[in-house]
Amino acid sequence: MAKKIGRRDFIKKSAKIGISTVLGSSVFYQVIGHYGCAPGEKVDLAVVTGSDYSENTIKAVELLGGIEKFVPRNSKVAILPNTQSRHPGTYTKPEIVRAVIKMCKEAGAEEVNCLSWLTRKHWESTGLAQAVEEAGANLKLIDSSDESLFKPIPIPNGRELKEAQIMKELYNNDVFINMPITKDHAGNKFTGTMKNMMGLNYRVNNRTFHKEDWQTNRSSIEFLDQCIADLNTIIEPTLCIVDAAEFITTNGPFGPGNLIKPQKIVAGADRVAIDAYCTTLWGMEPRDIVMINRGYEHKLGEIDLDKVKIKEVKA
Amino acid sequence: MHKIMGKSVFLVVLSLICLCLLLYSSEDLQNNLQHSLHKYIPDVTELDEWEKDGSTQEYKGEDLFLYIDGGAEIYHEYGFRQVVVQDYLNKNGKSISLEIFEMENSESAYGMYTFKTSAQGDVFAIGDEALLEGYYMNFWKGNFLVTLTGFDEDEETVKGLLGIARAVDAKIKIKGKKPPLVSLVPKKDLLALSMKYFKGNLGLYNTYPFFTKNVFALSEGLKADYSAGYSVYVIGYQSIDECQKRFREVKESFARSLRYNTFNSIDERLFSIRDRRGSVIFASLFEEYILIINGIVSPNQAEEIFTRIRENIKTK
Repeated sequence: MAKKIGRRDFIKKSAKIGISTVLGSSVFYQVIGHYGCAPGEKVDLAVVTGSDYSENTIKAVELLGGIEKFVPRNSKVAILPNTQSRHPGTYTKPEIVRAVIKMCKEAGAEEVNCLSWLTRKHWESTGLAQAVEEAGANLKLIDSSDESLFKPIPIPNGRELKEAQIMKELYNNDVFINMPITKDHAGNKFTGTMKNMMGLNYRVNNRTFHKEDWQTNRSSIEFLDQCIADLNTIIEPTLCIVDAAEFITTNGPFGPGNLIKPQKIVAGADRVAIDAYCTTLWGMEPRDIVMINRGYEHKLGEIDLDKVKIKEVKA
Repeated sequence: MHKIMGKSVFLVVLSLICLCLLLYSSEDLQNNLQHSLHKYIPDVTELDEWEKDGSTQEYKGEDLFLYIDGGAEIYHEYGFRQVVVQDYLNKNGKSISLEIFEMENSESAYGMYTFKTSAQGDVFAIGDEALLEGYYMNFWKGNFLVTLTGFDEDEETVKGLLGIARAVDAKIKIKGKKPPLVSLVPKKDLLALSMKYFKGNLGLYNTYPFFTKNVFALSEGLKADYSAGYSVYVIGYQSIDECQKRFREVKESFARSLRYNTFNSIDERLFSIRDRRGSVIFASLFEEYILIINGIVSPNQAEEIFTRIRENIKTK
């Protein structure tokens, strides 16, 4: 186990990248405040539909007020795409990641860093390694077996998970953009913004989400979903951009599975609302997913989509 | 004195030899157990144009998490024991990954097979049942589930998938039996390849999220889809008493849940309800089974379907 950091040290370092916790709210968020599509119009979720996923991505961020609202000049940006599997509809598409890197660069970001504890093989087999490098970002692969590369972070509001171990590299950045693909997940039926955060956490720590006894009854799945919601209380992404363009609705998370093509990019900062919205793209309801309920209970965001300002456009 | 010492030395030497033989055979036995799945992996000599790429990996029990990070729970629910993984390459750089999963029994293997496959694909006479979906092939045989994954649907890849699958099939000598539940659902209008067999609530939840809690206390169940637009679920219990108790709890949970409306208790053994999307659910109790119909179905149709299942149960 790595040495635990002190509370003051934790707050100082967390604030730098826009992490908000009960211990201290995000400095970045205080600076940026709420975003808007037009003067006076507040948009919580931007959804753009169309066959050009790169254009959809750019348009979705514009609807939120533009990338400059999230990425200050000279900032360092961390991006977390999903690269778990190489089958269609199981990983964040390269053109979407490429579009985000381009926007960050144009906004004057000093560095854009794609973070992952998966292997280079994962990034290459999905075409993401090439996209990241061609777009001028850094691919920072963290050795998932080296515990010293992960920082223990207490979770004071955690109902099940009391401590996470977040990759230290994240804290060298000022902005964090979470970029999952939404898809089926055999473990809890749904994956999106909240579950993608497990990609920042030490793998051995992630394993504890599944309970030591590996009992796969629903109560254990509820335990898993509670842990995911708990983990989300200590890291708040600056922005979430979700690939809901083409994704699997069966045999997840690795696939291959039944592929549907809503051709949507969903962007916003409210993780619960984004995940809630994404469930509706494949015939579910937000309340069906334990993790989304738990995230709402943690006050991470809004589960009732009637209360969310959603701006949907066709590209 | 010398005679006694000679005898003692002889006995000690004999004991040492016996001990060595015992240790050797025990080690040998352990190796055999450890590598028991390796024998099912086709060697280069058994395959046309495909060579092994890298060494064979194996994962047992909880270590499955290391291999399928984030997707292992469902395998455990079905009764996972161990898996071996071997990649193959051909001279054109095409790649195929072979996974042989040993499950607890043939019902577990069949269940996991139904979970991983869809209703679309081509059926092949490999193992007890085989399905090729694009570049993804699954078959089950006995208590084994075999998965082969290519990178594309090119002819040489598909030929390789089938070749490797047939080679593994030839090595697995046992045959499996489908769970008896399979024979209980009506055959009329049944959609081919639509059956899903569950060994726990996670499997059920993945097909339709009746409840987030394990209200059914499910240890065995089956879902089948029909061309008229409804699905039939048969959930089995160990005893009639257990089933009755569970049915009462299920009924109460449906009646209380905000996800459903228009609850109608027809009698002690039958009720109907609607989900938020307007889909009708009929649930009935018969012997040690809870029977559910979900989808586009009228009360008369539902009664007819229940009657057929009851007849199948009586004659099983």
